[in-house]
Amino acid sequence: MALFQISEPGQSAPLGEQEKFLAAGIDLGTTNSLVATVRDSGTAETVADEQGNSLLPSVVRYFEDGTTEIGTTAINAQLDNIGNTISSAKRLLGRAVEDIKTLGGSLPYKFANNDSSVPQMVTVAGNVTAIEVSAEILKTLKNRVEDELDGPLKGVVITVPAYFDDAQRQATKDAARLADLNVFRLLNEPTAAAVAYGLDHKEELDERIIAVYDLGGGTFDISILKLNKGVFEVMATGGDSALGGDDFDHAIAEWMLQESGSDLHHHAISEARRVKEALSDSEEVNVELADWQGTITRAQFDEMVAPLVKKTLLACRRALRDADLSKEQVHDVVMVGGSTRMPIIRQSVGEFFNKPPLVDIDPDKVVAIGAALQADVLAGNKPDEEMLLLDVIPLSLGLETYGGLVEKVIARNTTIPITRAQEFTTFKDDQTAMTVHILQGERETVEENRSLAKFALKGIPPMVAGAARIKVTFQVDADGLLNVEAEEETTGAKSNIEVKPSYGLSDNEIEGMIKDSMDNAQADMEARRLREQKVEADRTLEALDSAMKSDADTMLNDDEIKILLEARENLQNIKDNSEDSAEVKSAIKNMEKVAEFYVARRMDDNVKTAMQGQSVSDFADR
Amino acid sequence: MLDFKQSYFELFGLPEKFDIDFTKLNEKFRELQAKYHPDRFVNGSDNERLVAVQTTGLINEANETLKSSRLRARYLLTLKGVDFDDEIDTTSDGAFLMHQMEIREALEEVSNEQDPLARIDDIAQEISGEADALKDDFVEQLELGNLDAAKEAVLKMKFFERLCQESKSITEKLEDELF
Repeated sequence: MALFQISEPGQSAPLGEQEKFLAAGIDLGTTNSLVATVRDSGTAETVADEQGNSLLPSVVRYFEDGTTEIGTTAINAQLDNIGNTISSAKRLLGRAVEDIKTLGGSLPYKFANNDSSVPQMVTVAGNVTAIEVSAEILKTLKNRVEDELDGPLKGVVITVPAYFDDAQRQATKDAARLADLNVFRLLNEPTAAAVAYGLDHKEELDERIIAVYDLGGGTFDISILKLNKGVFEVMATGGDSALGGDDFDHAIAEWMLQESGSDLHHHAISEARRVKEALSDSEEVNVELADWQGTITRAQFDEMVAPLVKKTLLACRRALRDADLSKEQVHDVVMVGGSTRMPIIRQSVGEFFNKPPLVDIDPDKVVAIGAALQADVLAGNKPDEEMLLLDVIPLSLGLETYGGLVEKVIARNTTIPITRAQEFTTFKDDQTAMTVHILQGERETVEENRSLAKFALKGIPPMVAGAARIKVTFQVDADGLLNVEAEEETTGAKSNIEVKPSYGLSDNEIEGMIKDSMDNAQADMEARRLREQKVEADRTLEALDSAMKSDADTMLNDDEIKILLEARENLQNIKDNSEDSAEVKSAIKNMEKVAEFYVARRMDDNVKTAMQGQSVSDFADR
Repeated sequence: MLDFKQSYFELFGLPEKFDIDFTKLNEKFRELQAKYHPDRFVNGSDNERLVAVQTTGLINEANETLKSSRLRARYLLTLKGVDFDDEIDTTSDGAFLMHQMEIREALEEVSNEQDPLARIDDIAQEISGEADALKDDFVEQLELGNLDAAKEAVLKMKFFERLCQESKSITEKLEDELF
């Protein structure tokens, strides 16, 4: 046990075996993102920015020079800079260009019209993908936690929704790679929430069933987990990707608009949000919309949103059924997401499961906290920790077979990692090649499922139809990422693919982006240096001007003034026009050199003035 | 390193027969996962991590196979050298297929019944009773060494698996309508 001793903050640990590996958990959210880490005290806490905010709005603003602004400042600019300010990038992670057509209506971005398989949004800084936007958010969180811990991270655990498919998980990992983060593991959000509550450390039961109810701003997820002696299994997931706290705001806003006869939609929504939050603490709240005033009680509100609450409970029933469980078998209900602060939600969920839900940990932070705990274990800081998190694949994986049908190879909810092989044969005589088309989803036909990748197996020896034996092996790793290999068994002809190119980014593209971001980082640094040198130049110019204003006529002759003014003009010119920080810097140096004699003369004069009226003994006393 | 050549039963320390001790299966499964899972090797070499993925892949596949009665029965036959693809192979027992159609029709009629939920519960019970009888039949034939008859029982299990799924999805729909 004593391999990693905890030292008091400020007291430096002896060198050697007591070094703690720095690790963090990141909740990369649609609306907000957070980072948490395990402190020396052993508790996991979120890390706040300089203003004390733990929540980083998942919003990135792009500038013409390629620099970015992330979080609250970017949000503030969103209204007047909408196309260059990207929010909700998570909804686009791992999505194909075609998906944008179904999602796109609600997105205010302009998408680039080119043949890239990954959707690109047009900004003043050029085209960007959701992966790059997410990488900016991850970088910000990385810097925040590394500043706080005063060292580089060994690795991180990043959370993803339990239903994320292969492409969405791959995209998340790609974003982490761009942000130069070592990912120990992608962890399902509900599992992280259960870990945060330490449910894995409750020993009184052999097996616990945990329901995680996650109501965010724009999405609802329900997950059913089974926990058995430190092993977590996701038994079922469900939810509604278009139902969240925003819909509750809309319900109030609609009522307000109806009651007041006003048509101030925008004002109504923001007032509705305030009212909703206030109703979590008060039974009755005053409402104002332009010159209309009214009141709303919590009972009224509860009635308005009853259909929304019922929708979430229906999803809970379905998830329980998928897991083959009844409500009575659920031991713990964990609440996640800011919207679960509403009393109606807590009450209805409590009644549905017939037990009070767990609400002690801030529902906005609970996922990041759980991820931090898991990251700490994976980093090797708790060698005695037994916790092992097993996940399942959220969607079935299969292959296209004859007639555009899909044959499932790995069914959804199968525990991962998993390796499974399936045999196929040729359909035609003397067929020498075969296309392997990999799909994900629950439907019967190719069109209704998601195409993950296609590749060709060549070199099959000519045989009669049905004689070749083609073995296709699927391998899914612990993060849910897929690798497929096809082999003709009589000859050993082989072909394999790491599944992602259909609508993910290829390794080349990723490497290109990493290089670009490094170039950008250099450009960023140069831009910052230039800005700093120009400020320095201003300071020098101001100092000279104020000095000359006060004593040039008494201390300098005309020639000296001329020399100084020439140097001044030169510096002013370079400062106004130069794009090169080194040039500005040397102009400042030059100015200082020219003015050296003047500075010296003024110093002498100052000393004389200071000494006037003081005796030598006064100086001796100092 | 795990011995990849051993049978799924050997892997979990279980005797090679149809009736298995699920508690023991679960315990051994967790024990093996705890030892070989890739999370134990996040700081290991590429090779160690690849081996971990392959090893746990096998453990999971073995577990899925032994957990399901139909897959377990099929695997027992595979070990005895009877290999078949139940996606293609099917039973030719006419009376059995006729009975399947009757149950299917009864399922389709459910929504017209006076108390559809009670009716579907009855049918579901009938289905699970017949599925259990099929398992007994399989065990008996296997013990007698009638491998063809045992294979026939496995092929029939697949039909009951589908019926089970169907009755479940009808129940779900009925319940959602009433909720």
